[in-house]
Amino acid sequence: MTRRDSYWAEGPLPETPSPQSSPAPWGTTRVVGTRRPRIDAYERVSGTAVYPSDVVLPGMLYGAILRCPHAHALVKRVDASRAEGMPGVRAVMTGRSKVADLDWPYSRRDHSKLFDPHCRHEGEAVAAVAADTPQQAADALRAIQVDYEVLPFVADERDAVAAGAPKIRDGGNLAGEPEVSERGDVAKGFAEADVVLERSYRCAYEIHAPMECHGCVARWDGNRLTVWESTQGVFRIQATLAGMLHLPLTDVRVIGHYMGGGFGSKLQAGKYTVIASLLARVTARPVKLFLSRQETMLCVGNRPGAEIRLKAGVKKDGTLTAFELSSLTSPGAYEVGAGLLDWLARDLYTCPNVRTESRVAFINAGPARPMRAPGHPQGAWALEQMIDELAEAIQMDPVELRLRNVPKVSQARGGKPYTSTGLARCLEEGAKAFGWSEARKKQQQNGRYRRGVGSAACLWIAGGGGPPSTVIVKLFADGSVNLNMGASDIGTGTKSVMAMVVSEELGVNPDQIRVENADTATTQFATPSGGSKTVPTESPAVRDAAIAVKKQLLALVAEEKGWDPADLELDGQAVVSRTDPQRRLPFAEISRLQRQRVIVGVGYRGPNPEDAVVNPFAAQFCEVEVDTNTGEVRVLRFLGAHDSGRVLNRLTYDNQVFGGITMGIGFGLTEERVLDRRQTGKMLNANLHSYRMPTALDVPADMVSLPIELGDTECNTTGAKGLGEPVTIPTAAAIANAVHDAVGVRVTDTPITPSRLIGLLAVAHKEG
Amino acid sequence: MLPKFTYSRPGSLVQVANLAARPGTRVHAGGTDLLGCLRDGVFGAESLVSLSGLSDLRGVTPTSGGGLRIGALTTIAEIAANDAISDRYPALAQAAASVASPQLRNQGTIGGNLCQKPRCWYYRGDFHCLRKGGDTCYAFDGENQYHCILGGDGCYIVHPSDTAPALAALGARVTAVSAGGRRTIAVEKLHVPPSTDPQRETALEPGEILTEVILPPPPSGLRSSYRKIRERASWDFAVVGVALALVFDGHTVTTANIFLSGAAPVPWRARQAEEVLNGSNLDGATVERAAHAAVADAEPLAHNAYKVPLFAGLIKEQLTTLGGGT
Repeated sequence: MTRRDSYWAEGPLPETPSPQSSPAPWGTTRVVGTRRPRIDAYERVSGTAVYPSDVVLPGMLYGAILRCPHAHALVKRVDASRAEGMPGVRAVMTGRSKVADLDWPYSRRDHSKLFDPHCRHEGEAVAAVAADTPQQAADALRAIQVDYEVLPFVADERDAVAAGAPKIRDGGNLAGEPEVSERGDVAKGFAEADVVLERSYRCAYEIHAPMECHGCVARWDGNRLTVWESTQGVFRIQATLAGMLHLPLTDVRVIGHYMGGGFGSKLQAGKYTVIASLLARVTARPVKLFLSRQETMLCVGNRPGAEIRLKAGVKKDGTLTAFELSSLTSPGAYEVGAGLLDWLARDLYTCPNVRTESRVAFINAGPARPMRAPGHPQGAWALEQMIDELAEAIQMDPVELRLRNVPKVSQARGGKPYTSTGLARCLEEGAKAFGWSEARKKQQQNGRYRRGVGSAACLWIAGGGGPPSTVIVKLFADGSVNLNMGASDIGTGTKSVMAMVVSEELGVNPDQIRVENADTATTQFATPSGGSKTVPTESPAVRDAAIAVKKQLLALVAEEKGWDPADLELDGQAVVSRTDPQRRLPFAEISRLQRQRVIVGVGYRGPNPEDAVVNPFAAQFCEVEVDTNTGEVRVLRFLGAHDSGRVLNRLTYDNQVFGGITMGIGFGLTEERVLDRRQTGKMLNANLHSYRMPTALDVPADMVSLPIELGDTECNTTGAKGLGEPVTIPTAAAIANAVHDAVGVRVTDTPITPSRLIGLLAVAHKEG
Repeated sequence: MLPKFTYSRPGSLVQVANLAARPGTRVHAGGTDLLGCLRDGVFGAESLVSLSGLSDLRGVTPTSGGGLRIGALTTIAEIAANDAISDRYPALAQAAASVASPQLRNQGTIGGNLCQKPRCWYYRGDFHCLRKGGDTCYAFDGENQYHCILGGDGCYIVHPSDTAPALAALGARVTAVSAGGRRTIAVEKLHVPPSTDPQRETALEPGEILTEVILPPPPSGLRSSYRKIRERASWDFAVVGVALALVFDGHTVTTANIFLSGAAPVPWRARQAEEVLNGSNLDGATVERAAHAAVADAEPLAHNAYKVPLFAGLIKEQLTTLGGGT
């Protein structure tokens, strides 16, 4: 398993038992595909939903972590004696505490100590306290004295590979040899091309910045541990805690009913999860430990920035002949993955000759975590601007150039076909709905404000989901339903979508369906919600479980009444005959159901097709206005045409598209982690004010979601593919292309700020 | 986490002034900047004295001379929405409307906006810099993309206020009251450059309370404006900004006042640009010359040279807009 593959499939493919049914694809649906508000909308909006940060338990203490203020330092001595005696302080823990002498797995390949004396990034944990109040905990942290030996640091991957750079890992600053992938012969490809362009691009580091900060509440009952964690996947937290604390899985209960966003940064436990559990154990009290905003910006993930050099060849007729891409990126100080920058160059367009070389360097900064389509927005930033520039060079419409090179198979996977590919239709129908051709034929503009349009396309490497998943659906005597599933709803509407799937099969109104989810003690194993795979993973298992309930119920009635089970169906309140309107038995009159009181259906996620690839595709279009006096860019409108298979809930689907575009606007226009590169390596904008996420005013009111539904009957039994990540992949590149269309300037570095653009405009004006 | 402090809310200005004169005391108005600074440990405070018991300090009223008095506790939102200000002093209304975000404008006050602390990320961060009593300015050799291009001297912050340059351009004064009496200070003289003292932002002495802003009556022919460029459309300080107050006699500019934000450690008076404009018509060539004169003396740091063309573009735009119809 290579580094680049690790995000979406680690280790051997998991399995669950075969589904009990192999239902035909849905034809016309009643509920699925409609617009339905979330089943938990009231709880979320009214504030009655209990998020982990809302949890308050009797006798609960507050934990806090002392963090290294240096980018790179050795802890020489920790003196916590004063803190230990302070009022309200119940526990102080350092690297010398026996209970905390644990290895912390930053990934499968790399680890540190839980409190490691060698701090390789600002914010690394040095000590922790638990106290009666958060204020007492903060005072105690201030009273802990630490002697550091400050070490030379590296704060930028370009500095890491420069001659004479401080060596920050024993094995050197590079994480292994460069990873090379190659097909065909790029030299031959460039020789065949009519136009060859070579460009350098740079993407800034982004921070996930979910609304709810990372954290948990931990409580012990004897040797059993319960943790309320703000997470995308309770079972992965459970596994980490059980492994580190040597507990059986059954004694670790992790609950994550609600959570306030993660975007990939909450797929895993944090050091804080283990520290809170240890503090709770030594104090015999529940402990709440939530990170501050600053801590989350330093310690629990980022989207790696990148230097990308891309060379591309095209013939005058639009045939792509070769791509050569080299990249340099950094996951921070530990090997936690920073790949996939080259995936789009390898797989999005038909191109026989492709060579990519990916280098990963260590720097003294917080470890990366997967962030909404790892590597892809950065890769699209380079590739989709290059496509635009190639199209201009051969005087072809960029949408047309993309259409000429739509692949039928996954070239990066040895030519396996896709179960469905909507790339061409996303481009064609998206362009039509956007009014692309008309917008391109605009008048010559000479004024201060210039408008331009841009497009970009993508696929997402994963998005097909897959086993394992086990789901239980219970039908009660009154016809109401409980759906029991392990998956987290990370704000995307998973619970609502799954209730609609149950409703589709059982006829029960979604309002009669309660969802119980994301609790390792009461629900069945599910993988974390990430990788745009929750719907394609869980919805077939939910459908299977609902069908299992239906089959049992129909069999009961058939036996009870002597009717033919094949002639029966459910209408949500009764079992009815398809052919004889006289035959109708309400739930209340099904005697076996009334005696048994419940029917339990278990569903499983079956395997994906072996010889085909399940990927979502997309094309996005936007229009911008540039003030040539000041370099200010206003995004006027956006359209996202997305092939993510069947739409299960049009309302939450559109929300995903708008949210993804919003996040992409942040990547393209405003967001950038700034480290003090030359002096201290410390992060300068670890707050929501100077780390600029887009506000409502930075996002156009005119956003359109255009689903492209091809009827994929091969990918799984609901026909759904992932949506959550492709929605943010092409956005920034589309904006850059629109800016170029408006003012003729190529912005190769993110974010496109007025300061960056005014400089480029000034240069262009001089050369003009 | 906020540190421990005592809190008092006296009902008279004299009491406030007496308390505020004690060492370790800070004055609390809207609190949008103060509480953030305390929480982030930018500075400490043993006690806070609140102005909120002083109802005299609220509201906008006409002065006998035909100007306006704005109480120090008047919120930025009230100023942005005030008809008299919008009609007669549009630069101030526009500056107020461009401050921060709606929530912050509802809470933040005009007095606080004039007395706010710098937004330099070294000053706000965990750096013992010159302004905090250390011996170096980290921005000078560091990440200085948002720092000053004019007036830097040991410390290279930019003054963060939007309303200060607008008020300075409009010739406003503030009243400062202490136990010992009262004085008025021109807004133009309120802020202290680092060459005078790198650890002070304003000329107010300990125990001196800024109680009001007095706007002189607008001269006939006054046109004014404020605009800033920022990196996102809301909740962002000026990367560059300009306040203009031009007095016209027919097509001729008789008096030009130009103050820049995002340029210098204090609201920066662009005298060379004013000289170009005084007595001129706002024709294209004059506008162009004035825009460049405003930043002719700029000494950009390693990462903020972009501010020079950005200021020039912005000033050109705003002069052209103000000159429209002359």
